[in-house]
Formats: sequence, C-alpha cells, structure tokens
Amino acid sequence: MKQGIWIAVVATALCVLPLVFNSDVALTILVFSYLQGMLAVSFNLIFGFTGQLSMFHAAAFGIAAYATHLFMQHLGVAYWSATVLAAALVAAVSVVVGAICFRFRLREFYFAVVTLAFSEMARLTVLNWNSLTNGSLGINLQEKPPLWLPGTGIVKLESTLAWYYLSLVALGATLLVCGRMVHSWMGRCFAAIRMNDELGDTLGINVFRYKLTAFVVGNMMAAVAGSLYAYFLGSLEPGFLSIDQSLGIVAMVLLGGRSVVAAPVVGAFVLTTLPHLIHFSAEIRSIVYGAILIFTILVMPQGIYGGLWQIMRRRHAA
Amino acid sequence: MLLEIAGLTKHFGGLTAVADISFGIDKGEIIGLFGPNGSGKTTLLNLIAGLIPASAGRIVWKGKNIAGWQAHEIAAAGLVKTFQNPQLFAELTAIEHLMIAGHLALKRRLGWRRIATLIDPEYRNNSRALLERAEEVLGLCRLASARGLSAAELSYGEEKMLGVAMGLMCEPDLLLLDEPASGLGTVEIDNLETVLRDLKAHGTTLCVIDHKVGFLRKLADRAISLHHGAKIAEGTPDQVLRDPNVIMAYLGRAHAAI
Repeated sequence: MKQGIWIAVVATALCVLPLVFNSDVALTILVFSYLQGMLAVSFNLIFGFTGQLSMFHAAAFGIAAYATHLFMQHLGVAYWSATVLAAALVAAVSVVVGAICFRFRLREFYFAVVTLAFSEMARLTVLNWNSLTNGSLGINLQEKPPLWLPGTGIVKLESTLAWYYLSLVALGATLLVCGRMVHSWMGRCFAAIRMNDELGDTLGINVFRYKLTAFVVGNMMAAVAGSLYAYFLGSLEPGFLSIDQSLGIVAMVLLGGRSVVAAPVVGAFVLTTLPHLIHFSAEIRSIVYGAILIFTILVMPQGIYGGLWQIMRRRHAA
Repeated sequence: MLLEIAGLTKHFGGLTAVADISFGIDKGEIIGLFGPNGSGKTTLLNLIAGLIPASAGRIVWKGKNIAGWQAHEIAAAGLVKTFQNPQLFAELTAIEHLMIAGHLALKRRLGWRRIATLIDPEYRNNSRALLERAEEVLGLCRLASARGLSAAELSYGEEKMLGVAMGLMCEPDLLLLDEPASGLGTVEIDNLETVLRDLKAHGTTLCVIDHKVGFLRKLADRAISLHHGAKIAEGTPDQVLRDPNVIMAYLGRAHAAI
C-alpha cells in the first residue's frame, strides 16, 4: 500500500515535470535517460534477478533499431507495426542464442563470453552489410513515428515534449512488466536459478525454460527501447550494438542497484545526465566521470537506490 | 509397485559405483538403505532422481521408464530427493525457501493458467493458499521459530530440516532422503523421526539412507544393504542387520564369524 503511494507520487511528479520545467535540453536528456532506463531495467531482469550476465543486450537493442527501419523501408509497414515485427525478430534471435547457451549449461563468465561473441557477430554483420545498413556511416532517419492522441487525432511525434511522455509511458510499461514477473511465482523461479539452480532443478523448476523466458522477455523490451531510441535520435549506426553499450548498461545497473525492479533507472539517469553536468575538457571529463562511478560503487555496493534506502532506514530507526 | 529398478548400473570411468542393482518400492512403505561409506547409496539416489545419468538399467516409476529424464521432470512426476549436505538459497529466509519449493504444487493446481496469474489480481489468493501451506509445513517440521531467518543464520539441524520441509512442499509420492539424521543431536533426530512417521501416515512413501543404524532400524519397514555398489541383502531391518554379509561389510570378517 505504502509502495503504491510512492509510485503514484513519483509518477505524478514526472508527468507534471515538463509543465513546470520546460527546457528542451533538459527534456531531451530525460528522454534519453528513460530509454536507457528501459534498457537497464530489462537487462536487470536477466542479470539481477535471474543471475545471467548477458552481453547480448546491446545487440537486442541495435538489431531492433535497424530492423524497424528496414521493415519500414522494405516491407512498407508503419512505424509501430515495424517495431512489433522488430521485437518479434529479436525474440526469435534470442530464443536461438539463449537455447544454445542454456542447453550447454553455460554459466557466469562462459555465458557472458558466448553472448558477447553472438553480440559481436551481430555488430559485424551490421557493419559489413553495406547494401542494407550503409556500414559504418549509419543511416539518417527522417520520418518520425505517428501517435494517436485524444483530442488531436493522429500526429507525428516531433516535439520533445511528446517524446518525453512516450518514453515515460514506455519506461512505465517496462517497469510494470518486470515488476509483475519478479513479484510472482515466476520471480521465485528466477531467484532459485540465480542462487542455486541445481537445487531449483530438484524442486521441479525447469531451469532451462525460465532462464530462456527471462532472456527473451528482457531482450524484447530492449528491442522496443532500441526502436524508440533510434527514431528519437534520428539516426542509426553500428555503435548501437557495441560492447561499450553493453558495458554501459551493466554500469547503470550496478550504479542504480539490482535488487529492486526500478533501481537501475537511477543509474541510467545518473550516467546519462552526468556527462552534461561536468563542464571540463573531454580528457578530464572521462577521468572525473570514471572516478565518480568507481567512488559510488565502492561506497554504495548495493547501488544508489539500495544505499539511500539503507541510510533512510537507519535514520528512521535512530 | 510404485518404483521398480532393474539392472541399474553406473560407471565413473573404470570405477563401478552402482552395479546391476534391482529392487522395488511399494506405495506407503519406508525403505532403509544401509551400507558403509562409498558403497554407492548416494549415487543410487542421484541416479533415481535424475541428477546423474545411468550407464545401464531401467528405472520404472508408476509404469514409465524414467531413466534419462531430467531432474525437474522427475520431481514433477512426484519423485523428490533431498541432499546430504543441505543445499539452500543463501540470501533467502526459511519461508521464502518453502515458497520456491511450492512451485510444483502451484504448477499442478494451475497448469498453464499460471501464466494468466501474472496479470490477474486474483493471483494473490493462490499465493495466499501456498503461503498457508508453507506455514503449515514449517510448523510440522518444527521450524516456525526459524521462519524469518536467512539460510546463513540457521543451525545445521535447521538447515537439514529445511531440506526435508522443501521436499514436503513438492508434495512428492516418494521422498528420497540422503542421510537426513547425520550431524543431528538426539532431540533433533527424535523430531525428524516424528516428522517422517507423520509423512508416512499421510501416504508419502520414503526411501532413507542413513548411517545411524538404530534410527533407521526403528523407522524402516524394509531394508536394503549395499556394498561396493552391489546389493548384498534385502528384507526387514533386523534380518538385514543380522545378515553375515552385512556384518562383514561393516565390521570385517572376524565379527561375521561370530
């Protein structure tokens, strides 16, 4: 109940925010934060809750971004249908990659390395298939997705304000889906797999099935984030699928915290905003940025969310 | 016959850990498995539970050959094993362990409808029923006081009991217990015996390995003894414990002659 009130307060605050604080730059940063937040939250379903360190998340994100564009161009379908098709494609790819990894019982670093190899395979394909992807130059996306809004009918999503609400809803939906899964019998299966999959097996939990479920669902949410991200940014490039991107997602989760569904959003927000707040030359900026990351992880091993919560509880108890 | 094993064999490289073992278990009985260390008792249970694949032989459970099935499929079919060294989920409390172990019960009750419970607010009712059952099992296993303790905070006896409690939550037809009494004190053993008798009264069939001969002699209806991976005796616990082969295996030739 108390949790419900908190969610309502935060959601209302975020909805009202652009009305009070109407800066295009700030809203743009928030849109990126929300879309990165979607990535981090969906990654945490696989990593934090099911215990599988997937390096395939950036690939799911990037494949969907490219696929949305290609489906629109070559099949002539509308943006939203293309997004659904792209998510379906990512689901199919994830089933293949996941089935291979989990059938061979790859764990921990072995799983990370093999998913990384699949991810690089996807990136190199995108990089080298010039006729389709325009290689390292990437693609400019001119059109903007349409959206039906009550009162005004179908409009093209051009204003940052419209994107703000769209990305907020998308993030909310991601949190809802992950929350429902984690706080259910399925979440208990995930926890069993994370902590002791052999014991889970003898208790009748189909370890393969639930690992695959977490992997596929997580990647599908990353796919939707990828579709939105590319069309908000207005361009596509192979860097979408890079290792840096995957590591960035891991950093967001570690920074935000991995034991609470919404915690990675905090990490996504900090890592997206921080570079814009540090006004140093590029070289110094990377150092300061890295130092802040390391310091936070050392001081708050459970992430910012977990750390703050603990401090609040301690103060409450005192 | 609930479980029928025929010619079950397991080789680890050149070592034969289980050699051509055949026996059956009837519904409702308690079977005791005796044998010195290294005689293949744990390997036998691991083979039956599907934790390791058999080299040869048949394991017929309720009329189906389950040799080659995966562990979770065997558990789902009603054949559940507990571990000799307690296997737990490090970060979770006792009650959370039992909720996880309730997965099979929930699956049997709801089938594929359990997917719908992810979006259905009615799910809370199912969850409550499971929680009630978990509380009941905690009480039955004398673990009520450990309800909110994490796995790391439990005593060794409580850890072992929690293993049995998780087995119970699976609602098995046959529970395979791997040395449930080892490392326990007298009070804890009495406790365990009460729980196991109670289980039997509720229709659960048990197959128990233990070194504590006195404990198993009182408990078991029928006993089987293993030595070097082979079955050397079968009968009532008293018959088996008086068997010269068994005495020789445990104590050596000198004692067997007496």
